[in-house]
Amino acid sequence: MDHMTQVLGILDEVLGLNGRAAAYTKESPLLGAVPELDSMAVVSLITAVEDRFGIVVGDDEIDAATFGTVGSFVDFVERKLSM
Amino acid sequence: MEAFFLPAAVGQRFCIYHAASGPLARGSLLYIHPFAEEMNKSRRMVALQARAFSNAGYAVLQIDLMGCGDSSGDFADATWESWVQDVTLACEWLRHRSSSPLWIWGLRSGCLIAVEAARRLKPALPLLFWQPSLDGSQVLRQFLRLKSAAEMLSGSAGGVVDSLRRDLVEGKNVEVAGYELAPELASGLERATLAPPHPGTRLEWLEVSSREVTDLPPVVARAKLQWEQAGCSVRYVSVQGPAFWQTIEIEEAPDLISATLTALLEPVEA
Repeated sequence: MDHMTQVLGILDEVLGLNGRAAAYTKESPLLGAVPELDSMAVVSLITAVEDRFGIVVGDDEIDAATFGTVGSFVDFVERKLSM
Repeated sequence: MEAFFLPAAVGQRFCIYHAASGPLARGSLLYIHPFAEEMNKSRRMVALQARAFSNAGYAVLQIDLMGCGDSSGDFADATWESWVQDVTLACEWLRHRSSSPLWIWGLRSGCLIAVEAARRLKPALPLLFWQPSLDGSQVLRQFLRLKSAAEMLSGSAGGVVDSLRRDLVEGKNVEVAGYELAPELASGLERATLAPPHPGTRLEWLEVSSREVTDLPPVVARAKLQWEQAGCSVRYVSVQGPAFWQTIEIEEAPDLISATLTALLEPVEA
């Protein structure tokens, strides 16, 4: 399964979107557009990708731009995986 | 189902005991809950599993660790050592109650406590781990991060966490997400790893994933090898289901319940 599909699965599960994430594309906006994505949900998402992908996210590594769109979030995960 | 308070060295611990139904006592399990909010989110799944165990002939003892749930003490009084001692205390209680094989069942960071307690107990106890945390320092890091949720999106979370860590090093309690964390708990958690206890330990390792997992994840493969090299047996099973200890809404993972019963009932291949 490719990273995009995995990340969409994580978004859907952690935010409780009930399958809505399946329709998202790389351009789909996240922060500000998905009401479930508040600051606590951001923390849960980071924990979830750390656990599922086996990566470690530093405290200063993410900001609002990371969660701008599905694409920016996937890019972030892939950058971490390539490190 | 009995609810009672178990006297500990300091204070008492709230316990729930589910007796095995039927004449066959296949075993007894001591359940060790995870850290902070994961404990609350996973209550329903644990209750469902405990009931399933009882129906299958296994007794289950659930204990609220010091400062957690309905046990005495504040979370601020909890230390890692007190938690490990709670586990050994509860094991002794279960051993007096039943002569059937004793298991320790952990979820997430509960597995880290279980492993340390298992090391102090003889003989080697079989272990049932749900989604074990491999590394206490990661659990601590993910927990401290909750404090910086608001700062996270402005890219200034690091300063908040650094400040928390400084306070802990200076011997001060810190407050995170409504939990007051003592340095003695933070340091014990930070040092904890899922290292194998005694040779001959049987570990049933179960995980849930929203996607189908066909291969052993690399972190699991490494841990499994470490345990096998230490003379333990490890069986890993992944089922589809939500990360119920983490999801915003309370969720259930029914496949995990049946897979867990199978893990205990199915003999380990030689």
